Formats: sequence, C-alpha cells, structure tokens
Amino acid sequence: MLETSIFTEITLNHYLVLSAIMFSLGMAGVLLRRNLIVLLMSIELMLNAVNISFVAFSHYMGKIDGQVMVFFVMTIAAAEAAVGLALAVSIFKRFKEVNIRFFEHLKG
Amino acid sequence: MTADAFLFWFLAFVTVVSGLSVILMVNPIYSALSLAMTMIGVAAIFVTLNAYFLAGVQLIVYAGAVMVLFVMVLMLFDLKHEIQAFTRGRLTGAIKIASVGILSGLIVGAVTMGLKTPVVITASSDVAAAPTVDTTRALAENLFIKNVLGFEVLGVMLLVIAVGAVALSRSKGGTHARD
Repeated sequence: MLETSIFTEITLNHYLVLSAIMFSLGMAGVLLRRNLIVLLMSIELMLNAVNISFVAFSHYMGKIDGQVMVFFVMTIAAAEAAVGLALAVSIFKRFKEVNIRFFEHLKG
Repeated sequence: MTADAFLFWFLAFVTVVSGLSVILMVNPIYSALSLAMTMIGVAAIFVTLNAYFLAGVQLIVYAGAVMVLFVMVLMLFDLKHEIQAFTRGRLTGAIKIASVGILSGLIVGAVTMGLKTPVVITASSDVAAAPTVDTTRALAENLFIKNVLGFEVLGVMLLVIAVGAVALSRSKGGTHARD
C-alpha cells in the first residue's frame, strides 16, 4: 500500500528529493569537471535545485515568501553568471586555456 | 496513476537525465544544451507547483539570457580538443564521488525522516485541498510591499555588477583593454 502511494501521490518530499539529487549532480560537476565554463554551469544547476525546493515549500506551505526568495536568487544567479563569464574570458585571454589544471599561479 | 503524478515523474526524469548529461558530456557545447534542457524542465516543474510567473522568468532569464551568454562565451574559445575534461587521480576522484554520495544520502535520509513527522503531511494535504490562488498577484504584493527594500538593494547590486563587468573588460588583460 505504501509503495504504491509513493508513486501515485506526489508530496513535498518528492520535490525535495528531486532537488537533493539535482544539487548533488551540480556538486559532482564542480568537483569532477575541469572546464571553467562547465564549472559555472554546475553552479547554475545547484542554484536551480535550491529554487525547486523553495517553490515546493512555498506551494505546500501556502506561503508566497519562498517565491520571492527564488526571484532574488534568480537575479543574483544571472549577475553571477555575467561576472563569472567575464572573468573566464579574461582568464582565457591570459592563459589561452579554460582547463583549471593550468591555473597554477596561486599554487604555493 | 493520475496525470499530476505522471507529469511529475516525467519532468523529474527529464530534469535528472539532462542534469546528468551536463556533467558527463565531454564537449562543453553539449553540456550547455543539456543545461538549457534542464532549465526548461525546471520551468515546467514550477508550472506544476502553480508558480506561473517564476516559470516564465525561469524560461526568459535562464533558458534565454544566461544560456545565450554561456554559449556565446563558449564560441569565443577554441575548444575543439579538450584535454582531460575530468579530474585525474583515482583516489581523489573516488573521494570526491564518495563525498557527493554522502551528501545526497544525508539529504535524502533527512527528507524521508521528515516524511514521518505529521506537520509536513497535514500542511501539504491542507494546501492541496485549497483552491489555487492567483500566485502572481500575491507574489507582486509581497515583493513590492513587504520586500521592497530587498528589491531596491537588488537593483543597486545589478548596477554595481554591470559597472564591475565593464571595468573588468576594460582593465589590463581584459577583452577591451586600453592601450
């Protein structure tokens, strides 16, 4: 009975688990990939995962504040992408490379 | 299986698969396209949660503007051959994957523990029974009455970031450096 209702009845927990899976995917991307642009994309993935849980909480709790927070997060994420990509372009001009393996100037 | 449940599982499948292909594709252009697909899936999930305005903003800002920015920067770089898309080292790679697994296990465990508390379940069933309100209107009222200071601060921050991005490109070593 419980197993069947998990698949047919969508609750808050379904959205939270989906959000957790997407956040972990983004974290795996940041840890495992070496391309600067793909790293930024993985950060966007993590921000989106958090947005899903905000909106899910807002819907199931009946409060709108979560959606306002998602609005702010989206603005900050767009700004962060702009600054991050500007930095990526200037890094590419300097090193001729976007693979973080070659950025060794900060190594001790 | 109801239409809602089917829609959720379909969207969850699309989102997770395209999110997985963001980190597994070796070519960054394919990663960007998968990310666009993920954004569209997330926007559809917002629609299933009655957040229509946010779904539109998600489509315009993320799937539109941010993805165009990403793809345009990728076109600037010459990335025909990518050396070592993934990190080297079996031990460190195993440690990284294990840490990701532990994190996701912790979150999923916490969520399924929360399933047993009656608070969440009563609140969810309570709201699910209630008729859907006009969320866009409520969002605007909350944003422009209760959170208007945050809205203004966000505008100032966007201005600062625009100036900063221009200054970054004009500085030494930037794309539009002064001679």
